[in-house]
Amino acid sequence: MKTVLEKGNVFYQGKFQELDKLVIEKGKITEIVLASAKAKKGKAVPATKKKPEVAGKTIDCTDKYILPGFIDAHTHISLEEEGVGWYDADFNESYGLATPHVRAFDALKMRDRAFKDALAGGVTTAMITPGSANPIGGQCCIVKMVGNIAEDAVIKESSGMKFAFGENPKRVYGEQKKFPSTRMGTAAVIREWLMKAQDYLKRKKTKEFKEREIRLEALIPLIEGKIQARAHAHQADDIITAYRIAQEFNLDLVFDHCTEGHLIAKELGKWKARAVVGPTLSSRSKAELKNKTFDTVGILMDEGCVVALTTDHPVMPIESLSVAAAMCVRHGLDEERAIKAITENPAIILGLDKRLGKLEVGYDADVVVWDGHPLDTRSKTEAVFVDGNKVI
Amino acid sequence: MSIIFNNVRISMSGKFFPGQKVLVEKGKINMVGSSIHKNVEKSIECNQKYLVPGLIDAHSHLGLFESCSPMNDIAESWAEITPHLRPLDGIKMRDRAMEDARRAGITTCMVCPASELPIAGICSILKTNGNSADVGLIVEQAGVLMSFGEAPKANARMTEKPHSTRMGLTAVIRETLMKAQDYYAAKQSKKVIKDREIDMEALIPLIRGEVPMRACAHRAEDIMAAIRIAEEFKLKLVIEHGTEAHLLTSILAEKKIPVVLGPTLLPRFREELNEKTFESAIILMDAGVDVALTCDYPGLPIETLRVAAAMAMQYGLDERRALAAITEIPAKILGVDERIGKIKKGYDGDLALFSGHPLDIRSKLEALVVDGDLFIFSNDVKVEMGS
Repeated sequence: MKTVLEKGNVFYQGKFQELDKLVIEKGKITEIVLASAKAKKGKAVPATKKKPEVAGKTIDCTDKYILPGFIDAHTHISLEEEGVGWYDADFNESYGLATPHVRAFDALKMRDRAFKDALAGGVTTAMITPGSANPIGGQCCIVKMVGNIAEDAVIKESSGMKFAFGENPKRVYGEQKKFPSTRMGTAAVIREWLMKAQDYLKRKKTKEFKEREIRLEALIPLIEGKIQARAHAHQADDIITAYRIAQEFNLDLVFDHCTEGHLIAKELGKWKARAVVGPTLSSRSKAELKNKTFDTVGILMDEGCVVALTTDHPVMPIESLSVAAAMCVRHGLDEERAIKAITENPAIILGLDKRLGKLEVGYDADVVVWDGHPLDTRSKTEAVFVDGNKVI
Repeated sequence: MSIIFNNVRISMSGKFFPGQKVLVEKGKINMVGSSIHKNVEKSIECNQKYLVPGLIDAHSHLGLFESCSPMNDIAESWAEITPHLRPLDGIKMRDRAMEDARRAGITTCMVCPASELPIAGICSILKTNGNSADVGLIVEQAGVLMSFGEAPKANARMTEKPHSTRMGLTAVIRETLMKAQDYYAAKQSKKVIKDREIDMEALIPLIRGEVPMRACAHRAEDIMAAIRIAEEFKLKLVIEHGTEAHLLTSILAEKKIPVVLGPTLLPRFREELNEKTFESAIILMDAGVDVALTCDYPGLPIETLRVAAAMAMQYGLDERRALAAITEIPAKILGVDERIGKIKKGYDGDLALFSGHPLDIRSKLEALVVDGDLFIFSNDVKVEMGS
């Protein structure tokens, strides 16, 4: 089965260009021809040997916009299913302090409406992470927005380890009248477990090693650099603390939220930071959000950081991802980079830039056809392909 | 002691044939056929009534739940995990429900602790006769009950325990299984002499693959979590309840995972029951999944086992498979299909005599035999004492 998209404006190689055709076959993009390329060849484009017509479908996209599926690199989709209540709240193991062994993957609910909303909003891939109540919250996964069971949707079952700095762990444990109730305490819990994990790994290679400990087993891929450290941090000082710890333990670090990133943009630039910024559309509901601004994205990009936007669904609904990008444009970011912040950049941050985030030959056929400019909030998705299957 | 049922209808490949005789001797079925001539102690003339194998409910809390009392013995709500709980120690053989079970034609039940904890305890197989559980028990360790989804979440919420989310519940199950694997490996190596741990000991037959993980799961996602964990630890698996199992038919069929389905005759009082339907049985069975029906006593009264089968027929299931779902298939799922679930020579003498078709709810149970013990429930049944 082959699908051909003809004409229209395609977001290709970082900008909108006129499309001649884009071919989808067996779940991948197999051919992209721009109108300009065709024009160059001029009339000489010969009626090549008539190929036998392959069974397939052609969609005329004249005046439409064709983009790669958007990617939200930080969500909690379906962990707390919408419209249900505590029965299906699987967000935070907030009695656990350090729960590196819990996996968001085991709490996905594929029939959550949010998956459909995501597709309607042009989002085809999301990273899903446990909440930020615990200093060490658990394992994140990366899924596409389709499938009856999580195994159908999954790209990576365990892609990163969630850490939380700042107000959340302080508040959750402080209210329970427990340790940690300070930033120092939170950092101490994290260091303690990372230290244990390093020693455990050393001991595991010896002969005396007998019994596994599931929390430390879960931290091994992190210590070995096979999965990322995902640091929930809003305040500038919390961002720096996360960096400090990551350096001490040689972790592959991604900054999540990064609300005050613009205040330490020079440092973040020097560190070649990867940051998932947002949810900037939400209100300043706690002190650590007081400096929240849509300018952060542009400032960090100017310093050379790789920046992606997030809705942090369900904090902001997943459909608002393109709205967040549009808000950045309103605050001065150029359109191309705003789109990159919800396509190419999250793919780079998630380590999937070889297959997602761009329309390129050989990439996954996650393609969205918009009836107008994707950053015009009045536009809607007319067709959405995930792995070449038309889902809208 | 020997008993003969004369002139009964018995089910053979989906149809009831009249004029049959069934002889029970020394607790076992000794002969089945149309011409049996033998001197027996008790001879029952049945006038074409229906004789079926004793019914089996593959998931219940019979005897653990105490009738008419707030003080039941079903769940250790305040503990974290309890793989070492043995139903044997809590079963009350003289509870009224035991008599109800017999009067409903049920001769065998799987009895287990409630699904409040992620790992609740072991599952035992019990006959409904006998004065003590030790006599009734036919297999003590027949599986380990685990629980996914709302029930353990609700318990964690009530008792303010850790693992209050699906992530935490699966993590605590994995953690325990990992420990059990290492405990068993250490025990095998014989180099280290370790103190025994009672909860780990209870998990060894599971880790060795001798008995299945009996996973209580309603939602498709929770069923998938059970499958995922069973595969990681190479465990045998049976899905209990399986409210949304019909959404996963191809997976369950391909992996040959049986389902103990129900209780379905309930209102949808929890979110995870939203997709509940009596069509599940036929959908799953058509795909080749082994399905046994359960009333999850005291989820529903034990007498409703036949009703569950009749309801499945109302929603399209044929008579042969509806009966199998409360006889042969639960026997197979419980791993005792070489001795119960059929009227066949050499099988346990577990028989139920109904006045009419067993899945017509108006039919009465007139007599029951459990391991050769005869219980008479109707004055219409005339027992002739032989020589």
